[in-house]
Amino acid sequence: MLLNGVRKAAIATAREGGVKEMEPVMPVSLRESLQLVSDPKNLDETVEEVFKMMLGLDCRRDAGPVDLEAESVTAVVGFGGLLSGACLFKSGSSTAIKIAAAMTGMEFAEVDDTVKDGIGEMGNMLAGAWKGKVPNLAANCGLSIPAVITGRDYNLHVQAPEFKLVHAYRFDGGSFEVTIICDGLQ
Amino acid sequence: MSEIRTLIVDDSSVMRKIVERSLRQAGLDSMVVYEASSGTEGLDLLKAKQVDLILSDINMPSMDGLEFLRQLRAQNLAPGVPVVMITTESSEEHVKQAILAGAQGYIRKPFTAEQVKERVLPLLQPA
Repeated sequence: MLLNGVRKAAIATAREGGVKEMEPVMPVSLRESLQLVSDPKNLDETVEEVFKMMLGLDCRRDAGPVDLEAESVTAVVGFGGLLSGACLFKSGSSTAIKIAAAMTGMEFAEVDDTVKDGIGEMGNMLAGAWKGKVPNLAANCGLSIPAVITGRDYNLHVQAPEFKLVHAYRFDGGSFEVTIICDGLQ
Repeated sequence: MSEIRTLIVDDSSVMRKIVERSLRQAGLDSMVVYEASSGTEGLDLLKAKQVDLILSDINMPSMDGLEFLRQLRAQNLAPGVPVVMITTESSEEHVKQAILAGAQGYIRKPFTAEQVKERVLPLLQPA
């Protein structure tokens, strides 16, 4: 799977949405604050915050590996603007079902459209909250609409990313992985 | 507070459900909820229904929340009805854009029911 589609969508969002209409500001660069942008603590805080606030669940970084299942669900949200790349949320099907159940208060027997919708929204909130940790990123980086992938044996390939964070997390209900890939930084 | 008619606009059915649950937890337990999965659907619904409160996502396909809000004001639909934008975008610039487009409130995702209560209930108090 390549990131071109979601990245184009995020760039379009950044251009057509908020970023274009903002008041002119001094040119900003993230390259000088690469250390801040790629700080692993930002991602951990983001995941804990989103799980606590939206699901009422405690969630902690885990050494991994994530619970393996034949079927998995992945949400991809692209970044465009000063930073291009993507945020990925990946879990096994049963964990995705538990997360969607906690989000909605409903019960699910399988990964249906509502579960996919919930996992997509989870990816969206993680991407948005993560970029919100760095002020320049919050104001100068757009998000794509989430894309959700389900199935077996698929891999994500990005050529020579600027940086990549891959963290496993565990909550009372399962484990999952969140990845931040940056393949372009201005 | 009862019988508040609320329109929730979000392309995610899960988010619509979470917003509804948060509003009920905030005290609007007997409100009537109308749902729209896009800005266009929201505008169509407002031509047929009267509402007391509108909550809308910003980042939606086809017509985003800001365009929905601009169209809402341009067509004079739901005049005087408070609109609260809900979004993952967290910069002050995005808040400013929403306010300029005519929003009365702004809630950043992720949010708690308590935050929804703080941002929404004051907008429903009689002047």
